[in-house]
Amino acid sequence: MSSESPPPAASGDNQDELILAQKEAIAQDIASNASLVGNLEPVYSLEREFSHDAVFMTKIGNLKGRYAELRRTRPDGNCFFRAVAYRYFELLLHRPDEYERIKALLPRAKAQMIELGMPTFTLEDFYDNFMDHVDRVGQAHMDAQQLFETFNEPGQSDYLVVFLRLLTSMQLQRNAEFYQNFMEGDKTVAEFCATEVEPMYNESDHIHITALTEATGISLRVIYLDRGSQTEASLHDFPDQGESAATTPLVHLLYRPGHYDVIYPVKSTSESGPATSNATVTTTAELSS
Amino acid sequence: MMASTSSSRQNSSGPMAPSSSAIRALSLELKSLMEEPLEGIRAKLVNEENLFEWEMAIFGPPDTLYQAGYFKAHMKFPNDYPYSPPTVRFLTKVWHPNVYENGDLCISILHPPVDDPQSGELPCERWNPTQNVRTIMLSVVSLLNEPNTYSPANVDASVMYRRWRDSNGKDKEYENIIKKQVQASRVEAEKDGVIVPTTMEEYIMKPKPRPSFPQDNIDMDDFYDDDCYDMDDEDDCSDDEEYQEDDGEDSGNGES
Repeated sequence: MSSESPPPAASGDNQDELILAQKEAIAQDIASNASLVGNLEPVYSLEREFSHDAVFMTKIGNLKGRYAELRRTRPDGNCFFRAVAYRYFELLLHRPDEYERIKALLPRAKAQMIELGMPTFTLEDFYDNFMDHVDRVGQAHMDAQQLFETFNEPGQSDYLVVFLRLLTSMQLQRNAEFYQNFMEGDKTVAEFCATEVEPMYNESDHIHITALTEATGISLRVIYLDRGSQTEASLHDFPDQGESAATTPLVHLLYRPGHYDVIYPVKSTSESGPATSNATVTTTAELSS
Repeated sequence: MMASTSSSRQNSSGPMAPSSSAIRALSLELKSLMEEPLEGIRAKLVNEENLFEWEMAIFGPPDTLYQAGYFKAHMKFPNDYPYSPPTVRFLTKVWHPNVYENGDLCISILHPPVDDPQSGELPCERWNPTQNVRTIMLSVVSLLNEPNTYSPANVDASVMYRRWRDSNGKDKEYENIIKKQVQASRVEAEKDGVIVPTTMEEYIMKPKPRPSFPQDNIDMDDFYDDDCYDMDDEDDCSDDEEYQEDDGEDSGNGES
């Protein structure tokens, strides 16, 4: 992304520091402008950003019939993981079946991560923290408002993101032979995980989504709002159900090039989180003025 | 009551306030290192008030050039640890291909995983949030003895090291400098009242609390665990690295 690359001969430190400083400045700018997880907004609030663009406007128009609301996440490279985590925890508030399922699944996943050689000491901590939140939400010791606050506290929010990244890495590495087919150049799956999956702030791609949904069994639908020529935003379900798309996915995300937000189907709005409709109305009023 | 202002910030390396995760991770790590010290390593806070700056003491591993050496280093953690890596600076003089003149250590595990075409490091050695003080220190100890000559921080040391290595120890310039530094470091150890282990048996033994490294009242005898994480990956990386570099450039430079 950085367009000015330093001269290749530079041995080091100063250039690195400059680049890091610039990156930090950009990150702070983003941080001061966008919450980690935002309040609910009506889907049509997207129209503000794309009013100049007929393709997007048509697609947003068609989206409104199926999706009611949107929850933005901070575009910091962690948005995919944070969006999935937030929406999933939100669902756990009133889905005891999912709570039982994930509670049984995660300890096995942890064992597999240790088997792969992830540092036990730190892994245990990320795991314990994640599990603790699953329990608190699943056992109603945490409500939607507290969940919202937790996800907007950077340290805590990122701790949860790390665990999903590690889960994703585990899934990729355990199925390295398969995923090797999707690697660019001669990168190994392990290298890909070390550079593109485990470290924070690295954006997610199709392959991350596939691996995370496989690892967790969380079904996911991504609505792609892009410049493709169709009038409907295209969608993709993970795991791929092919023709028999009988079940509705648990989590719905809206993808715009480079970014994921949570999106709420028309029906499920009643169960979706702490944002007051007042806040939504205010935002909308501001927009249209 | 007067509120302390900016001085209350725990770490000056980043403008953001320390995150709760940094405090959580560092407290856990410190506690763990007190209870189950890493062999050849002592850790303490530079200042009890500040969790973000640690003083490490590294004992030179027996059967290496560094045997019986006592190397002190400061480790500084960023406010967004463990999402970003700490930095390590040697306080003891260390002549090493991967240590800058000012003591700053250059090791890939402490580098963010950005795409960095200038660096010869392979991505698998880069920082990620599961790395921690233990994994770092294991890498540091291993680097002492097996420098990475692909992207040296101290070019002179690197050239000298390669001469020493390639002559199978006949060219003693590198070796002599290290031995002198080890000798000098023993004076420091004495000043700190530290007995540096010189045999493998002593080295891997559970450390006893020392006056200069107060470790609460934890009974260390209950914990001994060869807490050696799998270093194979890293070794593989450096081997590949050597291989790639040497390939074509100066062949016949087999790694020992």
